[in-house]
Amino acid sequence: MNLPGLAVRNIYRNPVRLALTVAGVAVALLTFVTLRTAVMSWDEAKNYTLKDRLVTRHKITFVMDLPKNYADDVRDLKGADGKPLIRASTYLNWFGGKDPAHENDFFATIAADHNTFLTVYDEIKIPDDQLKAFNETRNGAVVGDLLAAKFNWKVGDNITLESPIFGARENGEPWAFKIVGLYTTTSKAVDRQTFYFRWDYMNDGVRAEAKDRVGWIASRSVDAAHAAEVTAAIDKRFDDADTQTLTQDEASFFQGFMGMVSSVLAIMSYLSYIILAILGLILANAISMSVRERTNEYASMKAIGFHAKTLASLILTESTLIALAGAIPGVILSYLIVDVALGDFLEYNLANFFPVFRVKIWTYAEAVAAATVIGLFAGIVPALTVARLNVVENLRRVA
Amino acid sequence: MSTEQSKSVGSAISIKGVVKEFTRGGQTLRVLNSLDLEVPEGSFEALMGPSGSGKSTLLNLIAGLDKPTSGEITVAGARLDKMSDAEITSWRAANVGIVFQSYNLLPVLTALENVELPLLLHKMTAAERKKRAQIALDIVGLSDRVGHYPRMLSGGQEQRVAIARAIVNDPKVIIGDEPTGDLDRNSADEILKLFEQLNRELGKTIIMVTHDPEAAERATVIRRLNKGVLA
Repeated sequence: MNLPGLAVRNIYRNPVRLALTVAGVAVALLTFVTLRTAVMSWDEAKNYTLKDRLVTRHKITFVMDLPKNYADDVRDLKGADGKPLIRASTYLNWFGGKDPAHENDFFATIAADHNTFLTVYDEIKIPDDQLKAFNETRNGAVVGDLLAAKFNWKVGDNITLESPIFGARENGEPWAFKIVGLYTTTSKAVDRQTFYFRWDYMNDGVRAEAKDRVGWIASRSVDAAHAAEVTAAIDKRFDDADTQTLTQDEASFFQGFMGMVSSVLAIMSYLSYIILAILGLILANAISMSVRERTNEYASMKAIGFHAKTLASLILTESTLIALAGAIPGVILSYLIVDVALGDFLEYNLANFFPVFRVKIWTYAEAVAAATVIGLFAGIVPALTVARLNVVENLRRVA
Repeated sequence: MSTEQSKSVGSAISIKGVVKEFTRGGQTLRVLNSLDLEVPEGSFEALMGPSGSGKSTLLNLIAGLDKPTSGEITVAGARLDKMSDAEITSWRAANVGIVFQSYNLLPVLTALENVELPLLLHKMTAAERKKRAQIALDIVGLSDRVGHYPRMLSGGQEQRVAIARAIVNDPKVIIGDEPTGDLDRNSADEILKLFEQLNRELGKTIIMVTHDPEAAERATVIRRLNKGVLA
């Protein structure tokens, strides 16, 4: 028997309270790990973007479009030395399509210039025969393999989509597409659940005032190291035009596009720390109750000759051990729920937001370290109370 | 049985002009009033008196659990009134064994572990701790209860474990605060026999507060305290 052993025995003294406290710590850590992972995964998404891929949009808002000829101007942009600044460019439109058969399932539908699209997004891979079919089929569409699997779509299927942005086709016919290919990707910068179709088919069908307008221009700078200068050069090119542009690297554009979510994630980040504060309160309450019930025992230990600092250490050990006892199931639960179940679900269904939703080893370490430190802090007040305990008063003897 | 008799040469406890006052609700209450006391080494003394007479206060001062308002207290050769709290705590661990009325054993520890507890304050191996605790339990006649938790013991047995805990450090002075107060007559007799044995065979100085005249009769000296003054 030794003092740490006594601390362990004290922990098991009230099994129900111990179980509830450990469960409270475990759930708090699970929440902490989930929130931290969501925030970190969001940051992770930026890491998959390319430095040399630039996105040019309307200066005022992403919702407003640009003249199509801007894409040519961007592609032909040259530096002061007369050398090209851009090695590839394409243009795209957000179509906002919905499949009436899957009314509640969101997926991105984007009209892309089939001639140039893959020169900018070269991580998208389409089998040669399917790419050939895409180039030859005006209403052809290439669909991410995950999206196809989700809706059980196959090459050759005919799909009709509705667009709340563009309405029906100008001739009154529905937006009918033929799936001619399935794509995969070599990078998580592009998700595998988007429905791409030919921009010229969209341009054919939109009303007159929307024709030859593009949502944004995506381009690749010749030199990634000077991408910032190139973004400035692009915007400068249109400074005196009727429509000014805002060009950003892909990471900035991505963040701006998801600005609302970004705010939510910032709140989640704060919440994760509030969870830790709640964890501290749970522990402090449990330890205080336990210590209060054992005041006489600590008084008699003091009477036997135990020093105040020894008893304080005993209580701090106990509170830290309880925190760690909760941290272990907390980490196991986090692995099973966040890393395995939630990770698979989000990476499959929300790949745009969370390309990699896995708990980092650092997050586990952070959770365990936080629990340890909080356990220690939670024991401070009870430890000080016992250290200052008046032996005579607490032995409750009246002369 | 005579009172105020001494049976050895030196003093285990020497108290000179001790005053102890408490302040409650703005009023100062003098509990011990210029008290003098000499307890010879190896004596077994009982301290009696009505409630509020100051006997537990006196016992607390002797045990170093409280400090006098003024006066000198020397126990086992140490001037307690001049020592810091930390010094007194260390001194107490080595020189005093305390037996409480309500035993105050730790319920999560076995009888053996409860007796081992004070030995954690001293540098010794686990094996040595265990051996000394077993000897102490043997002295109090509980060598067959080493693995029992307090809840598995009778009141008398619990008190005997508490006595084993009090003597395991081989203290010079044993202090009993109503040690038989929670026990039936038979169990109380056994505890008092044990005190007599510790006093007679091991030469321990024992001072015991009691309300029970029969318990007090077992001591070699009976002192009576009334309104903070020894009669």
